[in-house]
Amino acid sequence: MSRTVLKTSFVELSGRERAHSILDTHSYKELLGPQDNMESPHLEPQGIVPQSDDGVIVAKGTINEHPAVVISIEGNFQGGGIGEVSGAKIAGTLELALKECESGIKTIPVLVFDTGGVRLQEANYGVLSIAEIGAAIVALRRHVPVIAVIPGKIGTFGGMSITAGLCSKIIMTRGARLGLNGPEVIEQEAGIREFDSKDKQLIWGTIGGEQRTVTGFADVLIADDADAIKEEIFSMMTDDAVYSSRTLQGDRYDALLNLVEPEERLSADEVRLLWAQSENAAIEEKTTSLNRDNSAGRGQTWFDLLRGEFLEIGDIPSVRVADGMIGEKKVRFIAVVPDNQNRFPRARKGEVGLLEAWSIAKHVREAIKADQNSEKRAIVAIVDVPSQAYGYHEELLGIHQACAAAVDAYASARLEGHPVISFIPGNAISGAFLSHGMQANRLIALRDEGVNVHVMSKQSAARITQRTMEELEIAAKKVPAMAYDVESFEKLGALFSLVDGVEANSPEKKDRNIIYKEIDRAIDDVLTDHTRDLSSRLNSAYAKSGGRAASILVREKLKEQWN
Amino acid sequence: MENFTFTFPATNQINRFAHVGVVGSGDLEVLIEPSSELQTEVIIRTGIIGFGATWESLIQRFFAQHDIAAKVKINDFGATPGVVKLRLEQALEVAADE
Repeated sequence: MSRTVLKTSFVELSGRERAHSILDTHSYKELLGPQDNMESPHLEPQGIVPQSDDGVIVAKGTINEHPAVVISIEGNFQGGGIGEVSGAKIAGTLELALKECESGIKTIPVLVFDTGGVRLQEANYGVLSIAEIGAAIVALRRHVPVIAVIPGKIGTFGGMSITAGLCSKIIMTRGARLGLNGPEVIEQEAGIREFDSKDKQLIWGTIGGEQRTVTGFADVLIADDADAIKEEIFSMMTDDAVYSSRTLQGDRYDALLNLVEPEERLSADEVRLLWAQSENAAIEEKTTSLNRDNSAGRGQTWFDLLRGEFLEIGDIPSVRVADGMIGEKKVRFIAVVPDNQNRFPRARKGEVGLLEAWSIAKHVREAIKADQNSEKRAIVAIVDVPSQAYGYHEELLGIHQACAAAVDAYASARLEGHPVISFIPGNAISGAFLSHGMQANRLIALRDEGVNVHVMSKQSAARITQRTMEELEIAAKKVPAMAYDVESFEKLGALFSLVDGVEANSPEKKDRNIIYKEIDRAIDDVLTDHTRDLSSRLNSAYAKSGGRAASILVREKLKEQWN
Repeated sequence: MENFTFTFPATNQINRFAHVGVVGSGDLEVLIEPSSELQTEVIIRTGIIGFGATWESLIQRFFAQHDIAAKVKINDFGATPGVVKLRLEQALEVAADE
């Protein structure tokens, strides 16, 4: 007689139970658990009840006797949003795992995602953390596979979908979702015709586990069974096959995008067919109009000013690239600019869209390859980006993966020893900033009203957090990370310099010279520094004097408890 | 958000730290820590305003039935009294575990 063995649902487990179910029972050791009471310092002042572990469970142990560390996000607390403490727990753990890998112990990180992305109540802390998480994953992947599990119920969104896109392998259930912009945000930003956030079939057809697995954005579609998930993780940990990270497969994704005609609304099934076709499709260059969009913006203006007489080498109008010189130093400038003829209508105003993010990745990789055996040129990202592109096609065709490719390229350039500098004369916003700018060794911004750093438009942030715009304004006064102006951002300590006395809108030669000098100074600073990570952001005077107090404390405590 | 603190005399020691629940919709988090003082201290933070009297009677009744010397922290996200009682019982069970 056969007996039916009951399966344990993984989806229904809490974040902590999920970590328990992955690690070998007696090996489980939680770091910064509830007893340590490391809660977010930013929630109570806003009238929100905090949680003792800030919604992230970190547990060290073994998986079938292999050393591993599981980072599991509790989706029921604040939608799994990444704040300063929860973000630092993830980043700090990955940084420690990296150190361990460098010392020869192959501790394999497993991330269990259940998150809406940045916790809007802590806004820029979330963005800074996600940049640090991404930086650590790119570095870790050189030693071990980094495994992502997306079980649902929430799935993974926002900056954390980019994080998932950086992982070596992704396991999803049918109920899970993986996308950059959540349905409500697309509806808010682009209208209900673009995306109806009430239409569940549409949502899962676009970003659900099955669709993602069939169209090349996830590796394994798995049943909701805790044992099966553990076995799948284990087989990925021990798989010796050499594989190429998604972020390095720009050609394949380029081929996919080339097969698409964005004027017509693509169905989920059509994308499945196109993805299959893209494997053998030769890339025929789409004829892109060479008429430059004349709606100048600060990105255009500064790109032209900084590159001077040097030739442009970009291959799409919205991503301008040139190899120039600052003094004796070779510099590649990259700017994302508006293109009113863009094939993807949602990316016509200077947003970072599918084509833009893949193109950034390509041009950064090109520089890495070309300089393999010679002087590593500096890479300067000129940042004036209103947002990532919000749209149905963007999600369907994996804008999170495109952004991950850009993040990976910049981070890899930094790890290879290229000084990567961001110069911010305009807006630096959310996913766009994460993809284009946030992986730089040093950030330089102009002190100007037109320079804004934030996570989401006020309208969308109000909708998602169910607060009024007035309530948001009041909260922003208490938590500088929620404010939009660059002077508040400066207090978080991530800026190398905030430059005064420069004409931001119509700069002249003297303004150019000031910025050349700043970039030159930043490059020298990178070259004399021996670290290639983002640690300078936590070592700055602002960060130490309180701007990143919790981020620093969490890392210290994790280190104490690691062994 | 509202905060309440209650203290009661107590005598029985508990074995260990306990943690249950999540600060998620309709749920709460309970942390119980052994205390060497002869009292129970209950610190409550709740996102739902205006239920002070309900909390007081619930907590009083519960710790009248369960004499434990402990520090109890409750982080509440709109749990009903029934859920609060269940979570407290669950936490006591864990704390009594050898």
